[in-house]
Amino acid sequence: MLILGRINNMENIYYPRQATLKNIKEETPTIKTYRFKLDKKLKFKAGQFMQLTVPGIGEAPFTPSSAPGDVGEMEITIMKTGKVTDKLHDEVKVGDTIALRGPFGKGYPMDKFDGKEVLVVGGGVGLAPLRALIYALFDKIEKIKKIHICYGAKSPADQCFKDEYKEWESRKKVSVNLTIDKPHPDWKGRVGLVTCLLEKDYLKKMNADIANSYVVSCGPEVMLKFVTFKLLDVGFKPEQIYLSMNRRMSCGVGKCARCNIGPYYLCKDGPDMCYADIKDYPNVFG
Amino acid sequence: MNIYFLDDSKLSGLMRILLGYGRVFASTEREVASNRNSQSGIFVRELTKEYLNSYRIPGFRAFDNFKSFVLPARAKVADYPDEKWIDIKKGKDKTILVGLKACDLASFAILDKVFLDDADFVDPFYKKRRESLILVSSDCTYSSDNCFCNLLGNYPYALKGFDINLSEIDGGYLIESGSSLGNKVLEGLSLPDAKENQISERDKKRKKVLEKLQKTNSEFEKAFSGPDILVSGAFDSDAGWDLGSTCVSCSACTNVCPVCYCFTLFDREGKKKEQYERYMVWDSCQFKGFSQMAGGMNPRFSKMDQFKNRYYHKFFRFFKRYNIYKCTGCGRCIDNCLGDIDMREVLSGAYAYSGKNK
Repeated sequence: MLILGRINNMENIYYPRQATLKNIKEETPTIKTYRFKLDKKLKFKAGQFMQLTVPGIGEAPFTPSSAPGDVGEMEITIMKTGKVTDKLHDEVKVGDTIALRGPFGKGYPMDKFDGKEVLVVGGGVGLAPLRALIYALFDKIEKIKKIHICYGAKSPADQCFKDEYKEWESRKKVSVNLTIDKPHPDWKGRVGLVTCLLEKDYLKKMNADIANSYVVSCGPEVMLKFVTFKLLDVGFKPEQIYLSMNRRMSCGVGKCARCNIGPYYLCKDGPDMCYADIKDYPNVFG
Repeated sequence: MNIYFLDDSKLSGLMRILLGYGRVFASTEREVASNRNSQSGIFVRELTKEYLNSYRIPGFRAFDNFKSFVLPARAKVADYPDEKWIDIKKGKDKTILVGLKACDLASFAILDKVFLDDADFVDPFYKKRRESLILVSSDCTYSSDNCFCNLLGNYPYALKGFDINLSEIDGGYLIESGSSLGNKVLEGLSLPDAKENQISERDKKRKKVLEKLQKTNSEFEKAFSGPDILVSGAFDSDAGWDLGSTCVSCSACTNVCPVCYCFTLFDREGKKKEQYERYMVWDSCQFKGFSQMAGGMNPRFSKMDQFKNRYYHKFFRFFKRYNIYKCTGCGRCIDNCLGDIDMREVLSGAYAYSGKNK
């Protein structure tokens, strides 16, 4: 089901297929959600990523933020922060063509979440791939005990998918817990880094059952580091923690050898890694 | 497998037959002039008809590695959005490589693991190039102080992986085929069978080179012994890695390495309007930018992290993934290091600090 080109009757793993930009939604001043129409349907699992090409500029890996499945359109939420994303934010308009390669990677271990509580911990634009997970969990909510969504952003203006929190929270078995980094006149909720939502007494307030939970986290590397340490401190085991790790990628197919942690390549074995599998290897959190 | 005798005078005949299959690139001993002095060296050069009669196979590996015949330093891998054409190689022409040593053959076996044997993704360009190769190897008649193939389970002579192998003996070569294509080539030469005393001469010569290698590398044997060369713990601290302090991140080691295959993809505008090209170019883990992400985060920020990564990949990660070390022991990285870094000494230092030794 991969979307790849063909060459001499073989798949060309480096060829990106065309996709048309249908809609752009501004989430925050630096983050936009792009909706693409694919040239043919593809099947992707929550957590799998795409290599997005801005023609002539280059490629960068992104995990779709829209619901997984057999799709003809997909959303990718992107922060402006480098060569490819600068061009995307500044110059690409609705109706333009970009190119996509993928999906790559393993995706989240959805079967493991059956009968468990899932703590979804996001920071900044890190909520984007988690949104695909949240939709996938909603889809099988009868098998999930509870979903705790914990999200930290710099300020109220920096929150992604603001208009969806209410709908998420209105669902059964779902709680949404928000925090911003520093006090703001428009903000009446919690203030502090996302780790403050993982303090013991806060988890108790959420009625989280630590022994019966999995945590999935995505955000900047430094956040993942302290989220992990906080989780371990409050009693989670490394086996319960899944992290969307960040590494530079180029090929996406386990060849160019740069997205590595220990013996793993994030492009083939990740990008979500169980902390128990990677904790003993050097430079896990940079 | 039959072993034949190829008289010295018939070497050009063999090369002529090989030229019938396509272009021949041969390891060649020649003078190189630089602005300071001239010295002889062994380089890979195209063998054309005019040089056929004077060509001799060198007894030692070439300065160049042979990976560029399967992974060129820069190669187009996609045209997009219009994907109709990419011509990797025209027609059925073969590329014939002559004078490979056992370490060069071993490098193809290692690269195949990544680009060919991957169950999920086969690199179509590598496959096409790899399948077009005819490999003509030869025994080493001498070794250098920087050779250490014996520490990695290789020999200074080829036992497998070749189409044709030549072993230099008095008055010519013993020649054997390792494939059906090799058989076909040898049939065309109608050679006499090797005599028993010629085979024992070859074995004696092989043994001599191997013994020399074993003597050169005896002090490093300890670090290379055991089921795995480096245990994960060896990378936890910088202790034992102080030899890396003279590294200047020049990437000479990764460029001359026959199995360092790390690359990056880059895109640019094509010749036609709204048509773009994607290239695969060699990259090096010794550069800071290799793992630097948008936003500035870099999991291998320090020079020492980059230095250690090369060893980590060769002797830990690759071994875990493919059950083979990503090193042939050719010693090219030692020959060419500006910082005078010897891979064997670095590994011995790291070994002394690793958990294995405690």
